[in-house]
Amino acid sequence: MPRALACALLLTLGTACRSSAPSSDDAKTTGPVRGGTLVASLRSEPRSFNRYVDNSAAADTTDALTQARLVRINRRTDELEPWLAERWTSAPDGRTFTLTLRPGVAFSDGTPLSSADVLFSFAVVYDPKLQSPLASGLRVQGKPLQVSAPDASTVVVTLPAAFSPGLRLLDNLPIIPRHQLEPAFKAGTFGDAWGLTNGPGRMAGLGPFVVSDYVPGQRVTLTRNPHYWRKDASGAPLPYLDRVVLEIASGQDAEVQRLEAGSIDLMSQADLRPQDYATMKRLRDRGAVTLTDVGTGVDPNVLWFNLATTQPSRGYLQKQEFRQAIAYAVDRDAIVNSVYLGAAVPVYGPVTPGNRLWYSENAPKYPHDVARARTLLAGIGLIDRNGDGMLDDQSGAPVRFSILTQGGNIRAQTATVIQEQLRQAGIAVDVVPLDFPSIAQRWMSGSYDSIYYGFQASAMDPAMNLDFWLSSGSAHVWHPEQGSPATAWERRIDELMQQQIAAPRIDDRKRLFAEVQKIFGENLPGLYFVAPKVSIATHLRVGGAEPVLLDPKILWNPDTLYVKDGASAPQR
Amino acid sequence: MTRRTRTGVILAIGLAACALAAPWLAPYDPGRQFSAYPFAPPMRPHVIDAGGSWRAPFVYPMRLVDPLERRYEEDRTRMIPLRWVSGALVRVDGAEPWFALGSDALGRDVLSRVAAGARLSLGVALLGTVIALAVGAAAGAVAGYAGGWADAALMRVADLVLVLPGIYVVLALRGALPLVLSPVQVFAALVLVFSLVGWPAAARGVRGIFIVERSEEYAEAARAVGAGPMRVIGRHLLPASLGFLYVQATVLLPAFVMAEATLSYVGLGFAPPAPSWGAMLQDAGSARGGADAPWLLTPAIAIVMSVLVVQLAAPARDPLLWPADNS
Repeated sequence: MPRALACALLLTLGTACRSSAPSSDDAKTTGPVRGGTLVASLRSEPRSFNRYVDNSAAADTTDALTQARLVRINRRTDELEPWLAERWTSAPDGRTFTLTLRPGVAFSDGTPLSSADVLFSFAVVYDPKLQSPLASGLRVQGKPLQVSAPDASTVVVTLPAAFSPGLRLLDNLPIIPRHQLEPAFKAGTFGDAWGLTNGPGRMAGLGPFVVSDYVPGQRVTLTRNPHYWRKDASGAPLPYLDRVVLEIASGQDAEVQRLEAGSIDLMSQADLRPQDYATMKRLRDRGAVTLTDVGTGVDPNVLWFNLATTQPSRGYLQKQEFRQAIAYAVDRDAIVNSVYLGAAVPVYGPVTPGNRLWYSENAPKYPHDVARARTLLAGIGLIDRNGDGMLDDQSGAPVRFSILTQGGNIRAQTATVIQEQLRQAGIAVDVVPLDFPSIAQRWMSGSYDSIYYGFQASAMDPAMNLDFWLSSGSAHVWHPEQGSPATAWERRIDELMQQQIAAPRIDDRKRLFAEVQKIFGENLPGLYFVAPKVSIATHLRVGGAEPVLLDPKILWNPDTLYVKDGASAPQR
Repeated sequence: MTRRTRTGVILAIGLAACALAAPWLAPYDPGRQFSAYPFAPPMRPHVIDAGGSWRAPFVYPMRLVDPLERRYEEDRTRMIPLRWVSGALVRVDGAEPWFALGSDALGRDVLSRVAAGARLSLGVALLGTVIALAVGAAAGAVAGYAGGWADAALMRVADLVLVLPGIYVVLALRGALPLVLSPVQVFAALVLVFSLVGWPAAARGVRGIFIVERSEEYAEAARAVGAGPMRVIGRHLLPASLGFLYVQATVLLPAFVMAEATLSYVGLGFAPPAPSWGAMLQDAGSARGGADAPWLLTPAIAIVMSVLVVQLAAPARDPLLWPADNS
């Protein structure tokens, strides 16, 4: 997978398996109501409605509303659920699964689903010419799954190697209609299919809604899929909503203002920033919104150094002691109190306490200790040689590095706090706020000292995130795509992760992953400081919302969402 | 000089003095973070205590009651006296801070940052404006007085710069420089970039005035008594352009302040924690400053005041600068 995609891609940081049940202060509801329109905001303009080629958050959101998978990971319970496949059996080797498709399922244009559509979907996602961003999430040890179809309602999936998460991989693959997209695929124009102009009104999907209209810069309108297959507990057809409108908002400030004004019901990329909390609490007190505390976030921002490119004049940037000193020098509580207004917890590694199943308490921690930081730095020859209070290296040059980060948001603020804290420890830091493309370009070219950025977690199981953990991974951000492990500790993590994904027992997997976290914490290729507490606000009229820590935090179960005033509400 | 102009000049001098004296005016280092005091509101000085007795000026310390709601309360059980002229104009002793104009998201004193930011933002904008006007006036004077090929060449260059979208030119020019620069280098680079972008408008205006004025009787008379081109330009024609140049200054100055803000926002201006007014306004915007922490808009007030001062100082009715009025 190209690095550009990897950077934008969801980094699944092996986070919590079970998110806690939301502690909602939602008002009591009287049960689902049929009809009506839900209005959500979309933070960025979609580039395409084809999830096989577009990895953006906008494409992810429309995909959640319009497509379906063979199996689904329930984002709230983390259980694997039958979805388009109503059941499956596994062979004794644990690598071969036979799935039976649910009868009576049809695409939104009325064409029945068959195993041919599943085979077609796999063929497309593995097509080397397409370079689908979904492909890496559907490989085991870099190899594709083997898929066959003995009959129209049966699919046999064989994993190329032992892989404990098994069928969870299939949650990454939306099943697309062969009858509609095969001509484009054969003609080599699949990447243009389901675009912004030729998608709305023509896409055939298996999800609860279909894209019916798109107005550039304004909104995407989705209407109920008349052939959707799910029914609720009482046997009533889903979805409850007639329409979902995704209003395109330019930035999070605009989203919050629209929610405040009542012109949207929720934000599709839903979590609140700390500075928005006071406003939302006032709205909640006025009875306008529901505020839900979902738990500790599972995708904290990370500071990583460029360990792939050696800088002879500043060799200390690649030393483990230097990174450990930074970990000690930064007062995480200061970041929690100022940047996050108390709505965060200190963290020391990529797996946060919000990740209850996989988080290890035994991973190293780095309490704020400037004296210890200075001792570590002195141990690698970085001391104050001219009495100006700042450290110098052996040649007398000041100890200095730059942090590239995203401008104008909480990352830039955090980087500024880190800058001040490191100044107190004698390290000069230049914070360089940039936009994402500029950061990605510098990351890909290796022309940076360090980067402070964050990635969206897309799964809880660390085995679903090998691109991050393995030294060969494209999302191994500090030194991606290594031919062979550059360091002994990376080699050890590679070995442990290979054992971890193959171990059949969850206790063994947890033990192995705890060892991985320990090694990671000792060597600190990435420095983690805080994980935010995730709060989500929805308009009081929204029902059926089950906010979770993983994106899409609310729209992951769109077919059971409803608006309490239903069809009686004025069309918005 | 009219009373209004005099007032403007005095205020301008005062503003410049404030900028120069920023380190003494600011109670704290503008980068110092009091992490326990994010978004602290302004702390009002008191001279009467809770019991109604007169005291030397003091403040009550602030206590953060609800961090997420950014709610503070005054602790009226304790008084912190204000000290005059002890390293700074006014400050308090002890570990607890005094935020005369409140604090920002990272607990930094807004007053200290606005004072320090005046040096950066006003300095860049003023110097950029002065150089742009000087270059523009010189180019316009040559083009308007000499005419011919000099006029054509200079105006084609000016047209070329004018038709380019200014902010993108600035972005491209700044982007061509190294990513990490010291504040002094950023200052110089921004002044250079602003001057390059700002001179053509001034040049075109001055050229137009010169073309009209050079054939006026007073210019002809000067030439008739033997004045050379430099004297005619410097003594007679250039003063006729001063009114226009003042107006240009009132346009360019705020534009450059905001351009500095934009560049800082996209990472091509002053990097954190440099307290430029533009960067502070960006912070205020992302923190819903106008609604929840209005004191974060202090840099906006400073920008408006700066522009007003420039406009006040412009001698709008001075017959020397507005010969048309005189006629």
